[in-house]
Amino acid sequence: MSQQTLIETQNIYKTYKLGTEIINALSGVDIKIKKGEFVSIVGKSGSGKSTLMHLIGLLDTPTSGKILLNDKDVSRLNQNELAFLRNKSIGFVFQSFNLLQRTSTIDNVILPLKYSKTPKSEWAQKALKMLELVGLSERKNNKPNELSGGQKQRIAIARALVNDPDLILADEPTGNLDSKTGAEIIELFRKLNKSGKTVVIVTHDEELANVTNRKIIIKDGKVSKSL
Amino acid sequence: MKILEVTKSSITALGANKVRTVLTMLGVIIGVSAVILLISIGRGIQNYITDQFDALGSNLLFVSPGKVSFGRDPGNSFSRNKLEEKHIKLIETHVADIVEQITPMVNVSETVKYKTKYYNAAVAGINEQGKYLFDYSIDEGTFFTRADVRSQSRVAILGKSVKKELFPNQSPIGQIIKIGGDSYVVIGTAKEKGSDFDEQVVVPYTSAISSFELKNISRIVVKVKADKDMNIATKLIERALLRDLEEDDFTVLSQADILSTIQNILQMLTIGLGAIAGISLLVGGIGIMNIMLVSVTERTREIGLRKALGATPFDVALQFLIESVILSVTGGSIGIIIGWLASFAGRAYIRTEVPWWSVAIAFSFATFVGIIFGTYPAVKASKKDPIEALRYE
Repeated sequence: MSQQTLIETQNIYKTYKLGTEIINALSGVDIKIKKGEFVSIVGKSGSGKSTLMHLIGLLDTPTSGKILLNDKDVSRLNQNELAFLRNKSIGFVFQSFNLLQRTSTIDNVILPLKYSKTPKSEWAQKALKMLELVGLSERKNNKPNELSGGQKQRIAIARALVNDPDLILADEPTGNLDSKTGAEIIELFRKLNKSGKTVVIVTHDEELANVTNRKIIIKDGKVSKSL
Repeated sequence: MKILEVTKSSITALGANKVRTVLTMLGVIIGVSAVILLISIGRGIQNYITDQFDALGSNLLFVSPGKVSFGRDPGNSFSRNKLEEKHIKLIETHVADIVEQITPMVNVSETVKYKTKYYNAAVAGINEQGKYLFDYSIDEGTFFTRADVRSQSRVAILGKSVKKELFPNQSPIGQIIKIGGDSYVVIGTAKEKGSDFDEQVVVPYTSAISSFELKNISRIVVKVKADKDMNIATKLIERALLRDLEEDDFTVLSQADILSTIQNILQMLTIGLGAIAGISLLVGGIGIMNIMLVSVTERTREIGLRKALGATPFDVALQFLIESVILSVTGGSIGIIIGWLASFAGRAYIRTEVPWWSVAIAFSFATFVGIIFGTYPAVKASKKDPIEALRYE
């Protein structure tokens, strides 16, 4: 396994204004995630783990401190540069799947390719390969509402993988699934990690966090433990 | 993301809500078809007027009582009428070499009766030269003569429509008709000439003056010899008439003057009608904006997702803008077809015409409305914070 650092936060702070009140969501977080790691970020509701996930996922920028992606500072990029990096380097998996209901599963998987520089002629082939990887290639023409929850999440994972990103960032990926299906999804993440993908799972569920190789526990906007 | 892909994706999004899409387009459809139809009707009225003048023949000068000036208070022109028969002689005497034909004209709107049948005809009193001047072709019978005019003969020529109405199955020649209170003998019928001529009953002007107890004539019509200049002819006739009349007592207008003035007025009217219809197009645009704003709110999560997957603010704005442009352009195209069909149906009544520029204006205005009213929702969509948008329930 490579020991190169994929993503690193250096003393990051994030403060919000809620009316007149100032909320310190993160106060000085330093974490390092190496390439090929399988990590969970764990914390209770309000701990700041979601804020940290948004920053790692390049959906937001820190109030102060630095975020390095592949040793490059990405904490002061503009909207367009962030969008480009999200498309290329991050694959999101959400708790509620977030599939577009009106298009087929293969079109859902193609969606990130539309915002990339990949030529159109390769879209269908790439998407189909990802559907095969998650075991749903025969459902490529189905609409999302014709699939079970577990299948929907597999489609979402295929979508996250299609641009071959550096990082799979999953936010409570089993939160809407029963325990058996949830376990299957976790198994899929483990398989992806074995094949070399860096996977970060953000969760409040300690049990789920135990399946990863490392836990980063967030409490009151700080890293309380890294195991 | 390429335009073609965005367009495909927009069509899918619009197709997901078919009823709403059609209802939203309806505003633009109605607006555009109204613009096309009203302009074509305006054009139809212009065509009608032009046809009327063409039927009159060319090289005509009209001497009207009073100072006629379009754009000024038209009431003045009717304030006093000093035109009399003697002024014809004045023109004939002093500028004989430019006059091909000349006739006084008396116009009265009167009910014409034959037995139990009625017709509301335009009674035109002219002299025997009027036949050539207005280029009447006689279908049956004869035109009246100089002697008829001198002796105030009660004789009449019927226009095509009058003949059809009063004498559908018989020859009117020799029959007695009543014009107002007096009896007239029908001595001829005119061939179809189009426009108002077919609804006329032509009588000697002297007879009309005595029948209707008129003091003055309505106007003098002069056909100028083909080789004479119309502007010079106008000046010469004016000079002849000034021997007896004041400058403000009469106006000499050429057919071209009158036609161009009327055409100008009608052009304004047509543009005015189009502009009023344009307001409904504007309302259609507001409808589009309204629905696009609803759509942006409904699809907040989708916007968040697209941004998370790498859509730039521009990508998001473009998608919503293209959706509103598709609405307005599709609505505009359907509106053009409906407006054109309606205008075509209107041809049963008036010679409507859909000028290419009205199609171009209506279509570009519809597109423009789509862009203008689509921009605000699109910008609103593009500014959504992806984190907030993904949390949206």
